[in-house]
Amino acid sequence: MTTSLTATIRDRVQRIETMPGIPAVFLPLLKLLSHSVEEVKLDEVVRLVSYDGTIAAQCLCVAGSPLFGLAQPPKSIKAAVISLGLRRVETILLTCCLGQAFPAKKWALDPAVFWRHSLGCALVCRKFSERLAAADTEKAYMAGLLHDIGFMVNCLAFSQDFALAMERASQEGIPLDEAERATMGFTHCETGQALAEKWKLADDIVEVIAHHHAIEHSQKAQPLVALVHLSDLLCRMRGLGYGYYERHKVDLIADPAWAILLKQHRDLEAMDLVLFTFELDEAVEEIHALVATVFGSAPALART
Amino acid sequence: MTTIPQPVIAQTALRKSPDAVDPVYRQIRDLVYKVSGIYKAEEKLYLLADGCARRMKQLNVRTPREYWDHLTAAPARDAELRELLNEVTIGETCLFRSQPQLDALRKVILPELVTEKTKQITKRLRIWSAGCSTGEESYTLAMSMLEESDRLLKGWTIEILATDLNDRSVETAKAGVYGDYALRNTSDLYKRKYFSTVDEKKLLVRPEVKKLITFSRLNLQDDSKMLFMKGMDLIFCCNVLIYFDGISKSKVISHFYSNLSFGGYFFLGTSESLMKLNEQFHLVHFPGTIAYWKPSLSSGKL
Repeated sequence: MTTSLTATIRDRVQRIETMPGIPAVFLPLLKLLSHSVEEVKLDEVVRLVSYDGTIAAQCLCVAGSPLFGLAQPPKSIKAAVISLGLRRVETILLTCCLGQAFPAKKWALDPAVFWRHSLGCALVCRKFSERLAAADTEKAYMAGLLHDIGFMVNCLAFSQDFALAMERASQEGIPLDEAERATMGFTHCETGQALAEKWKLADDIVEVIAHHHAIEHSQKAQPLVALVHLSDLLCRMRGLGYGYYERHKVDLIADPAWAILLKQHRDLEAMDLVLFTFELDEAVEEIHALVATVFGSAPALART
Repeated sequence: MTTIPQPVIAQTALRKSPDAVDPVYRQIRDLVYKVSGIYKAEEKLYLLADGCARRMKQLNVRTPREYWDHLTAAPARDAELRELLNEVTIGETCLFRSQPQLDALRKVILPELVTEKTKQITKRLRIWSAGCSTGEESYTLAMSMLEESDRLLKGWTIEILATDLNDRSVETAKAGVYGDYALRNTSDLYKRKYFSTVDEKKLLVRPEVKKLITFSRLNLQDDSKMLFMKGMDLIFCCNVLIYFDGISKSKVISHFYSNLSFGGYFFLGTSESLMKLNEQFHLVHFPGTIAYWKPSLSSGKL
C-alpha cells in the first residue's frame, strides 16, 4: 500500500469523531479492558456502566443467553460478575457497546449480518480456545468480536468504494478482502488497524485486526491471529458470513494458521473438527436471536 | 440399507424447549455420535427422543435411563444401537435433501473439476451413489447434472453409478416412482421438467434422467468388487457407514479413497462425520456443508 493511501486512511479515521451510536462509556471501558484482570476493579466497571442504563440492561439480557452460560438473566451487573466472573462480564459489556453502533442509514454491509459474523466469530474464538490448554479465552472472544471493525470504518468513511467492493464480492462469490483489494486498493484490515491504533487497543488485538487475512505479517501475536483467522473462515462456512455465497472450499487443517496454532497447542491434534462444526451450528440460531433481540432493538442514534 | 418405512413424525413437547430434554438424551446423542458418526444437534434432539420413545415402546421400557442401560449393557447393545440408528435416520430420505451439498457441487466443485479435467481427452464425470437406497439421491444428482448440461457440462458425458446392498431397494430405485413425501423438497419446475405423472399421488422420473444412472446391487464390504469401482470423481455415501463397526468402516473408507480420482470428493450425510477414521482425506468446508477431498496432483497437498 502506498504512503499516500495510508495517510488518506489515517486522515479519514481521524475524522470519525466517535462511531455513530457507540455509547460514551465504550472508550473508557476499552481502556479498562486493556489492563490485566487483576488491576481492574469491579466497582470501576459498575460505575462506568451505571452511566448508561441501556448498556446495563442489554448486558444482563446477553448474560442470560445460553451462549453466555446463565439460564436466567442476572439481576444486576454485580450479580452477573459473581456468576460469570469479571472478565466475561467485561466482554459482554464490550459486545453490547459495539452492538449499539447500528447506523441510522443503510450500510453496504447489512449491520445485522456484520454483527452476526462478529458475535459468531467471538463465540467460536472463545469455544476454540477453550479446547486449547493455556489459552486466554476471554481475550480470544474480544479478538473475534473486534477483528472486522475495519468494515465499520469502510461503511462510514469509504462508503461508495466499499459498496462497490461488496457488490463485486457477492457477484463473483469471492472473499470480501479480495474484492476490497481489487476495487479499493486496501482492505478492512488497514482501516481497522488505523481505528484500533486511534483507540489505543492492546497490541495483540491490533495485530488481529491488521493481519487476520495475512498471518505471516503478524510479529507479536501469531497464535491469536491464527485462531481468529480460522474461526473467521469457519463462521463464513457455517451461515455466519457476510450474507452472500462464497464460492470456494476451505481446508482449515491445511491452512498455515492451523500449523502455527498446532506449534503452540499440541492438543489441537486431537480435536474433532467436524463435531466442533456441528456444535457451532447449534449456536447459530441462538446468535441470530441474540443479534435480533439485543442489537436489532438498539436505537440507531448518532451520538457524535 | 433397507427400504425406508414411512416416518411417523411424533409431536413432542421437547421440540422448542431444550431445557425440557432429559439429560440422558444428550448422553445417548454422544453415544450415537461415538459409535456411528451421526450427530443430532440440540434443536433436533427431539428427533432422537422420538426415536428412543418408539424403541422404548417396543421394548416395554419406561424411562430413558432404563433405555440407556439397554444401549450400553451387553449382550444386546449392538443390536439395540442398530435399531435406534434405524429409527433416527427414518424419513430423512427424499429428493433434494441437502441444498448446501448441491450448491457446493454446482457452484464450487463442478467448476473446479471441469477446469482440472479439461486437459484430459475424454470429458467424462463419474459419480457414485454408494448405498443409494431407493434412488432419491441418485436421481437428485442426475437432475443437478442435467441442469448444467447446457452450460458447465456442455459436451461432457455423465455416468452415475448407484449401488445398494438391498435388492428390493435397487428395484424400487430403478422404477423411479415417487410420492409426495419423497418429493417434498422438489420444486414444481423440476417436477414438470423431469417427471411424468403416474396418478394424482405419484410421479415417474423421465427416461432422460434415468439413462444417466446405472443401478446395481453391491456390498460395500465385498473387497474384490470394491477394487473395480475405479475412476470416480464424486462419491456420495449418506447414512450408510453408520451401521458399520470401526474396522469395516475404515476399510470401506480406504476403498473409497482409492476409488476416487485425484481431485475427487467424498460426501457423507449432512450430520454425519468420518471422525478420525482416515488420515488421507482432507476435510474441506463449503458454505453449509463439509466434504472429504482427495487432493489433486496439481494442488501440491498430497
